[in-house]
Parts: sequence; structure tokens; C-alpha cells
Amino acid sequence: MNEPPDHPKRRVDVNVRMVDGEVVVLDRQSDLIHQLNHTASYIWDRCDGQSTVAEIANQLAAAFHVDAHTAVQDVATTIRQLHSLGLLESWSNLPEGP
Amino acid sequence: MLDTLSLQVLGCHVRVQCQDAEIRALLVANYGHMQGSRGPATLQYTVARQARSGGFLVSRAGREPLSAADPGKLLFLFEKEMTVELEKLRPDLYFVHAAVLALEHAAVMLVGESGSGKSTTTWALLHHGCRYVSDELGPVDLQTGEVYPYPHALCLKDVPPGPYPLPKNTLYTARTLHIPTAALPSTVGEGPAPLAAIFFLQYRPEAAAPVVEPLSKAEAAARLFANALNPLAHAGHGLDGAIKVSARVASVKLFSADLMATCALVRATLKRLF
Repeated sequence: MNEPPDHPKRRVDVNVRMVDGEVVVLDRQSDLIHQLNHTASYIWDRCDGQSTVAEIANQLAAAFHVDAHTAVQDVATTIRQLHSLGLLESWSNLPEGP
Repeated sequence: MLDTLSLQVLGCHVRVQCQDAEIRALLVANYGHMQGSRGPATLQYTVARQARSGGFLVSRAGREPLSAADPGKLLFLFEKEMTVELEKLRPDLYFVHAAVLALEHAAVMLVGESGSGKSTTTWALLHHGCRYVSDELGPVDLQTGEVYPYPHALCLKDVPPGPYPLPKNTLYTARTLHIPTAALPSTVGEGPAPLAAIFFLQYRPEAAAPVVEPLSKAEAAARLFANALNPLAHAGHGLDGAIKVSARVASVKLFSADLMATCALVRATLKRLF
């Protein structure tokens, strides 16, 4: 499997709803429904194909008051999970995860 | 000679022509509480014997007859066939695969996969002040938040544990046990009732005690959607309906264990929630 992209982009052909700060994603292609916790929802929201992983991690660190290293690890892990669930669009390169 | 059975289900009149009294008695044992015949028949079936095999045929105009080898399979097939048609006839309702109980003026749902213990837990809770609404189907009106009754005979796969013995007139088939509503230890919830709480059920026989855990609205919606039977009849492929229902009610995860302890926990949780 390819590494996650440096500019992760969420799929646009899924049904997405925000419920009390948590994202629910219905993927009719795979016939699966996903519920993302607050952190994953925050990251998902920023997977716009424009923001880099580093930028998302910086925003996460500020919003959730975590250190930069933890934020990078969390973002990388979450993006890998979103990828493995088939919820992101494209792949190129990203630094190795934790 | 055909013997007619008329059922009133979710506002629909289901008419069943039974080839003999034995077939009718079987269906009455299962659907007796639904008997009624208001308005013209919206669904019509014929249930007959198969000449050679001794099995049954369920027929409806415009479709191939369904074949059932024994009474258990007949009840299973008839139920499946009728509920699918009811989902088509009432696309306004959000059908959830769930057991439903009534407590005071509110309805409580038990949602879980097949084998999670919905019916067994329902059977036990009927001994602890809850009224029976359904053990299989929870049709929710998304506008009012009310859940409609579907009080067929309570259907168990196995004999329940000790403190909740089966009544004498339980109907035994090769695959299932059916407790007619008249033999239940509680009354039956009549008419729609506002849905107030959902327990997402998971049976953990190895656990020392049952546990209740909180659930976010988002997780409740996702879990509810996974148990929706007619999601495509609703907006957002059914996702909006699940969100709407879960937004209105209290939802928890219930890891059930010993049946009596599970009932006590459910009652205590409901007392805390309401």
C-alpha cells in the first residue's frame, strides 16, 4: 500500500454528517459506516487536498493543546487509518509514521 | 375450504387465507395480537400445504410462492415476506431491527445483531415491569419520534435461563420457541409511544456482571444506521433518519451477562436516564 499523501484529501463521494462535533461517514461504495472521534473528525475536516500533514498537525497541536511531536504522530496515524478505510482520495508521499 | 385470518399491522390490513385450521392456529399463535380487519386488504396471502412433502407454500399475487419445509420455517418465511412488504407500504417509517419495550409512557429499544440476546433480554424484562411492544421490529415515525408496536409472539432461539421459565402454551418449532402475547407476563404496549432510550446490546456470557457504557450521539447514529432495515427509503440514504432518532433519545452500550443482573441494570439505567 502506498504511503499517505502529503496533502491528504477526503473522498467527496461519501455521505458525511457532523453530530455533536463527531463526523459520521457513510461509504456506500464499501457499504460501511464510520464514526470518527473528535480528534479524527478535526483531522478529517482538514483533509482538503490543500493542507499538508505538517500544517494539520500544527493546527491540531494548537487546538488540542498537545506537543508538536504527539500531534504529528496522531495526524499520521489517523490519516493512515482513513486511508486503510478507503476514505481518502489520493496518495503520494509522507514521512514514516510512528 | 379456506379459513381467513385478518391482521392489522402498522395501519395495513393483511389478509391471510389459510388452507386448514392447523395453519390458521399456527399463525394465530404468532400474530394473534394483531388480529383486526379495518379497511380493504393491502396485502393478501394464501398459505397452503404442499401435497407431497407435507411442507407449506406461501403465495401472494404477482410473485413466486415461497416454500417452507416445516412450521418453524413457515413462520420465519412469512414474517420475512410480510415485514419486507410492510417496509414498502410504510416508507414513511424508519424500520429498525430491534426489540422494543414500553415503560410508563415511553418506549425503549434494544438494538443488536442476531444472537445478541434481544429477545431473551426482552422476555426477562417483561417480568420486571416492562410492557411488550416487539422483539424484532422497531418502526419509528421520524416526524414524531414515536415507535409503532409490532407485537408478534416473542420468539426465542433457546430456552431462557432459570428465573424466567417458559409458559405452558409456548409454541415449539424445530428452530424456534414462540411465546404468544396472551402468555406474556406483562401487557402489550398499544399504539405508538415516544422512543426515549436505546440500548445497543452485546452479550458477554463470560463477564462477571453486565456493564452499561455511555455512547456519543454520533456513535449511536452509526450503530442505529447499521441496524436500519429500509434506509434507502429515507433522506441521505437513511443516515439522516438515524441521526434524527439518536439525537432525540438517550443511548448506551449494554454488555449483558447474567440475565437477572442485566435486567436490574437496565431498570437502574432507565431510572437514571428519565
